[in-house]
Amino acid sequence: MNLAILGAGPGGYVAAIKAAQLGARVTVIEENEVGGACLHWGCIPTKAILSSCEILSRIRHSKAFGIDVKGEIVPNRSKIVERKNKIIGTQVKGIRNLFKSWGITLKEGRGNLSSPDKIAVTSRNGKTEKIATERIIIATGSRPAGLADLPFDGKRIISSDDAVKLEDIPKSLLVVGAGAVGCEFAQIYNELGSEVTILEALPRAVPTEDRDISKVLEKEIKKKKMKLYTGAKAKKIDLRQDGAHVTLPGGEEIVAQKILVAVGRSLNSNGFGADEIGIERGHRKEIVVNEKLETNVTGIYAIGDVIGGLLLAHVASREGIIAARNIMGADEKIDYSAVPYAIFTSPEIASVGLKEYEAEERGIKISTGYFEFRTLAKSHCIGEIEGFVKMISDARSDRLLGVHIIGPHASDLIHEAALAVRKGLTARDLSETIHTHPTLSEALKEAAEDVRKEAVHIPRRVL
Amino acid sequence: MNPDDLKYHKEHTWIKASGKKATIGITDYAQEALGDIVYIDLPEVDVDVEANSEFGEIESTKATSSLIAPISGRVIEVNEDLSETPEIINEDPYGKGWIAVMEIEDPSELDDLMDASEYMKYVEEEAK
Repeated sequence: MNLAILGAGPGGYVAAIKAAQLGARVTVIEENEVGGACLHWGCIPTKAILSSCEILSRIRHSKAFGIDVKGEIVPNRSKIVERKNKIIGTQVKGIRNLFKSWGITLKEGRGNLSSPDKIAVTSRNGKTEKIATERIIIATGSRPAGLADLPFDGKRIISSDDAVKLEDIPKSLLVVGAGAVGCEFAQIYNELGSEVTILEALPRAVPTEDRDISKVLEKEIKKKKMKLYTGAKAKKIDLRQDGAHVTLPGGEEIVAQKILVAVGRSLNSNGFGADEIGIERGHRKEIVVNEKLETNVTGIYAIGDVIGGLLLAHVASREGIIAARNIMGADEKIDYSAVPYAIFTSPEIASVGLKEYEAEERGIKISTGYFEFRTLAKSHCIGEIEGFVKMISDARSDRLLGVHIIGPHASDLIHEAALAVRKGLTARDLSETIHTHPTLSEALKEAAEDVRKEAVHIPRRVL
Repeated sequence: MNPDDLKYHKEHTWIKASGKKATIGITDYAQEALGDIVYIDLPEVDVDVEANSEFGEIESTKATSSLIAPISGRVIEVNEDLSETPEIINEDPYGKGWIAVMEIEDPSELDDLMDASEYMKYVEEEAK
């Protein structure tokens, strides 16, 4: 089987390896470097920078741990960028080596679908080559979405792609959008010294998360001295020499040297021949696929951000696995019933399954368990006591429907819950499982116990 | 122990009314039960709050608890010292650890609150 894949992001490169493992002859076409937005503009560079910020914050608060630091504590922007780029480089090499070891051909250039079994690849030097193939996977991803009245110029009005370059630390930064991306960058720039103001049009920060999560995050934003306005749009933005003069909803004017627009992503679903060969697209411009990830054109599959839905690297990878297996003869459907994800704010947020407001909207009767990290000895040892675990189970069957965490290492803690939700386990199954002491995972056990109001370490409520 | 000139709410806040203004804080029993207070999310000035509703939050090393308004009215002042040194509440809950000053909307609501001896009994009852 000959397979060609458009795009080498976390969807495309994983699909390529899986298909090659199953015996396909795979060609991957990528116009930039392998790794996609995840490795170059999103997940990985932001986490590399966040780690630098975390060290900075730790040193700034080292006194609380009994460590006196002498001298000035100064973040070195260019070294932080250098470290980030080195990490990206290592991962790029890793993917290229995997391709090599599985005999995958990488064509560097822009692919264009000439027909359902032919792709024209134009390389950077302008040469075009035609590739014949039996199957195609479209994995072209997405890019930052802009706002019509705040068009990106890469200087004054920037996207997350610009922000991650960390070209400078502006004195003041206005972040438009308090979703995952907006909040992560707000935190990065705040820690590195920018005065940060965040504007969110919806009523709360991280507006699609469980309400209790937003409440804690909003408080933490306040503690870090950032200004957050929710349910708010700038009344007026005037770009002048000294910065953007922004009139806030209350009438107050702030001057921001830069504006980061973080309001979502646009899908890369056209400009490579998809329309021309009759591939169906939906109302968000997404490429429409069935549960097996097939488009309406026989032999052409699509995965990742370009098919809409959950724009997450690990979802793209999972879709890549399913598409590759189906191409190689399996008959599998993608299952989105338990998709964990994380937001790397401080504290971190992680979630899987049903949220309380979703249960209310759908009229599902639930029981909830709630446990604060500050109750755990381990949280005090590591000096990170903020946040909680919230567990949602079916009121009748006790089956776990959703788990939501804000707190230290939430992104790593969520997977016990993801397994439980996927396999239909009950809160009791979780609470009856012995959890290692002293670890942060005890918060999941206690929250599961609290579903039945039986948590051992919940102090009596006073206030 | 609990000052006689104050009124007390069942959610463990105290109120000291003088004319239309009232100073509000949490009781000694509450600060003792919460343990070391590490952060207080103060209400915003000029915000209207209703009696028995949440108007702020207190974080201790043990728990996060809602601050429940003992009376309805408008917040006209908050104790800014608490944002940097919330532990004042532990040290002096009825004095320097005051939380907010409100303009009372309906003075008759004060009649629903407990006096010092009633509150003492209430706390003893709750501790059982």
